[in-house]
Amino acid sequence: MSENTIGKKSLNWVDSRFPIVDLFERHLSKYYSPSNINVWYLFGFLLLIVLVMQILTGLWLMMNYTNTAEGAFSSIEYIMRDVEYGWLIRYMHAGGASAFFALIYLHMFRGMMYGSYQKPRELIWVGGWFVYVLLCAEGFTGYVLPWGQMSFWAAQVIISLVGSIPYFGEDLATWIRGDYIVSGITLSRLFAFHVVLLPILIIAVVFFHILALHEIGSNNPDGIDVKKHTDADGVPLDAKPFFPYDISHDFYALGVFLIIFCSVIFFFPEGGGYIIEYVNYEPANPLSTPAHIVPSWYYTPFYAMLRAIDFSLFGITAKFLGFIVMAAGIAIFAALPWLDRSPVKSIKYKGIFSKTFLSLFVISFFVLAYLGSVPPTEVKNLLTKVFTIGYFSYFLLMPIYTRYEKCKPVPERVGEAI
Amino acid sequence: MKILLFLVSIFLSQFILSAGEFNCGSIKCDNYEADVSDKASLQRGLSTYMNYCYGCHSLKYSRYKRVAEDLLIPIEMYENNLIYDDSKIGDLMEISLSKSDAINWLGAYPPDLTLEARLRRPDWIYTYLRNYYPDSSRPYGVNNRVYQNVNMPHVLEDMQNSLTKLEYDRVIYDLTNFMTYVADPSAEQRKRVGTYVLLFLVIFTAFAYMTYREFKKDLK
Amino acid sequence: MQPKSPPNPGRRKFLTYSTSFLGLIGAFFTAIPFISAFKPSARAEAAGAPVKVDISKLLPGEMMTIEWRGRPIFVVNIPEENTSFVTENLARLADPDMADPSQPDYAKNEIRSRKKGIAVLTGVCTHLGCAPKYYPEAKPEDFDSNWQGGFFCPCHGSKFDLVGRVYANVPAPTNLVVPPHFFEKDNLLVIGSDGVS
Repeated sequence: MSENTIGKKSLNWVDSRFPIVDLFERHLSKYYSPSNINVWYLFGFLLLIVLVMQILTGLWLMMNYTNTAEGAFSSIEYIMRDVEYGWLIRYMHAGGASAFFALIYLHMFRGMMYGSYQKPRELIWVGGWFVYVLLCAEGFTGYVLPWGQMSFWAAQVIISLVGSIPYFGEDLATWIRGDYIVSGITLSRLFAFHVVLLPILIIAVVFFHILALHEIGSNNPDGIDVKKHTDADGVPLDAKPFFPYDISHDFYALGVFLIIFCSVIFFFPEGGGYIIEYVNYEPANPLSTPAHIVPSWYYTPFYAMLRAIDFSLFGITAKFLGFIVMAAGIAIFAALPWLDRSPVKSIKYKGIFSKTFLSLFVISFFVLAYLGSVPPTEVKNLLTKVFTIGYFSYFLLMPIYTRYEKCKPVPERVGEAI
Repeated sequence: MKILLFLVSIFLSQFILSAGEFNCGSIKCDNYEADVSDKASLQRGLSTYMNYCYGCHSLKYSRYKRVAEDLLIPIEMYENNLIYDDSKIGDLMEISLSKSDAINWLGAYPPDLTLEARLRRPDWIYTYLRNYYPDSSRPYGVNNRVYQNVNMPHVLEDMQNSLTKLEYDRVIYDLTNFMTYVADPSAEQRKRVGTYVLLFLVIFTAFAYMTYREFKKDLK
Repeated sequence: MQPKSPPNPGRRKFLTYSTSFLGLIGAFFTAIPFISAFKPSARAEAAGAPVKVDISKLLPGEMMTIEWRGRPIFVVNIPEENTSFVTENLARLADPDMADPSQPDYAKNEIRSRKKGIAVLTGVCTHLGCAPKYYPEAKPEDFDSNWQGGFFCPCHGSKFDLVGRVYANVPAPTNLVVPPHFFEKDNLLVIGSDGVS
C-alpha cells in the first residue's frame, strides 16, 4: 500500500467521516456466502441490475411521455420515431418489465425449493413478497400508460374488479378512476403512481430485503446453517467472501443474461405479442372492446383463477369471489414461513409429499399461465378449476404434509456424507 | 425433475405457438415475408400508398423527411412529387380529410395506418388486399374474404383488372412491404446495432467466465 | 473457509483488469443512446427548419419580425438615405470590424448581409436577451441626442446600428447575431440555412 499513499490518505480522510471501509467489508469482502450455492442464487443480483435499468430507462421515457388521454398514444410513437434511440430505450423498458417478472419468479421459486423462507429468514421472504406485490402494481400501471386498446381495457377490467366488493365497491372503483369510466384522469393518477410512488416504495423495500439478508446470510441448497462451524478467526468454514468470489460469478451471469435479453429486445422486441401486445398499437377506444383481451403473460396465472370462479358461494357473488381468489393467489406466498412445518429446509431432504406438491404447484402455475392467455372454452374452464385447486393445495395442505412426511437427515457440514 | 422440465417445456411451447396463430377472417393468411432492406420495393410501395391510400388514410406518426431518408429518395425530389399540400418536409404525414366529411361520404373515419402492420401483422394486410370479390349486396359492389362487410371500397380495382395476377401481387407485396417499414422504421438500425451489441456481449461474457473460473481455483 | 492464494497471480491480474476494462467499455456504449436521446428530436428539428420569407412587400425603412427556432428574426429594409450612416458611424461602435464571430463568414462585410439594403438580425440583445426596439430614423431620441437610426434595448439601454453593430460603452458586449440565411430568389429570403453555395 505504500506506493499508493495519496489514495490511502484520501480513503482515510473519507473513512474517518463515513464508514466506507466498514461497509465494504460488512457487505462485500467479509460478507460470507455458503460455498455450495448454485445458479439459483444468481437471480437476486440480476434483479438488482434490472431494477437500475428500469429506473434509468423510465426516467428517459418520462422526459418525452405525455400523460394525457389525447397525447399519450402519440407521445409513445414520438419516442419510437422522433427521439434518437428512443426505440431502444422503450424496448429496454418494455422488455425489462418482462425480464423483471421472469427473474423474480425464478428467484421466488428458488426460495420455495430450498426453504429460504423458513426461520430465521421470514422477514427477508415477506419483504421480497412485498416487492413482488409492488412490482405487480408497477407493471399494471405501466401497462396502461401507452393508452392503446389493451392498456385501456386492462385498466377497465382491473379497476372494475374493485367494484365487486359488496356495499361500497362501485363507489370505490369510481373514486379510484376519478371518473365514471377509465379516462385521462385515471391515466394521470396511474402515471403518478408508476413514476413516483411505486418506484420509491420498491427501492425502499428492496433496501430492507437486502439489509435483512445481509444480517442473516444466504440460505443454501442443502439448508445447512453455515454459521455454526467457524475457524479460530470466526470465519465460517463452509462459506467464502462475496467479494470477489460471488461477484465474479454474478458478472458472468450478467453477461449470459444480457445476451438473452439483448437478443430479445433487438431482434424480437414485441416478444411475439407477449412483451408488447399487437392490439396495443391501436389507440384506446372506449366504444369498442378488442375481441380477445389477455393480460401480460406474468399475470395470466392469476387471471385464469379469476376466470375459474364462475359460481357464487355463501352469498358472495362470483365476481367478488373471483377477485378474492385471485388476490389470495398472490397474497398466500407471504404465509409460506408459517405454513411450512417441516424440520428441514431444502426440498433435497424433504419427503415425497413436499416434492409432489411442489411439482404440482409448478405444473399448476404453468397450466394456469397458459389457460389465462387463451380464450375460454368449457373444457379449459374445467381445467382452470382443477389447476386452481392444485395451486392452492400446495399452500393450504402444507401444514399437514410437511408435518407427517418422512424427511431425510440433513448433513452438519457442506459435502458431508450421511 | 426431468419429467417436470419436459412438461414445462411442452406448456411453454404451447404458450409461444398460440401467439403466432393469425388467421385472416374466414380464410388462412397467405405466407408473407417482408423485406424492408429492399429499398426499390419500399419506394414502389410508397408510391402506391401515396396515390391510392393517402387520400383517406394518414400516416400521422411518421414524417415525410424520415421516409425520404430511409427510402433513399432525394429531399427535393420527394418535396416535388410526394407532398401534395403545403406541408414541409419535416412535417407529420397528416391528411386534410375532415371528420364530418368522411362520415358523410364514407360512413366512418378511415383509420390512420402508420401502425397497421404492427396491429394486424403484414400477412393480414397482404391477404386482405388480395381478397376483394364482387358482391352486389354491398354499397360499393365489393366484399372481402378477410374482412367481411368492410366499409372500404376496392380502390385498387382498376389496377387489379388491368394487371396480370402476378403483377398485381407484386404491387400488393410492395405496398405491404412499405406499410411494414412505416410501422417500424427503426427495424433495420435495430438489427444492425443489435448485432454489434451481441458480438460485444459474447466477448465480455467469455472474459467474465474466465475470471469467474480463475477465482474459483482458490476454493478447491 | 480461508481462500487459497491464487496459483497464477499474473493471469488473475490480467483477467480481472481486462474484464473490468470490457465492463467499462460496455458502460460507455450503454451511455450512447441515453446521451443521444437528449439531442433535438425530429419534431424539434422540424420546428426549427428553415423559414422562407417573401420580402417583396417590405418597404424601405420597414422592419418585419419572423419567428425562427422560437426567436424573433428582424428583417430590415434599410432606406437608401440611411445606408451612408451605416458606413460612416464607425467611430462610435465597439466592434466595427466584426472581430467577434456573431455572423456567418459570408456576412462579415460592411453591410453584414448577403444583400445590400437588407439586414437579417436575431432580435435578441446580446446583453441579457431582451428584444431591442427598432428606431429607424436618424434623429435625436431621448436616449441619444445624436441617434443615427438602429436598435435600442429598453431593458438596459444597449444601442445597435441598423445592421446590428453594438455601440461602445453600452452593456451589450457583442453585435447582434446574424442568423444563417440566403436568398433563394431576389425577394425570397430563407432564414436558417446557408444555402447550397
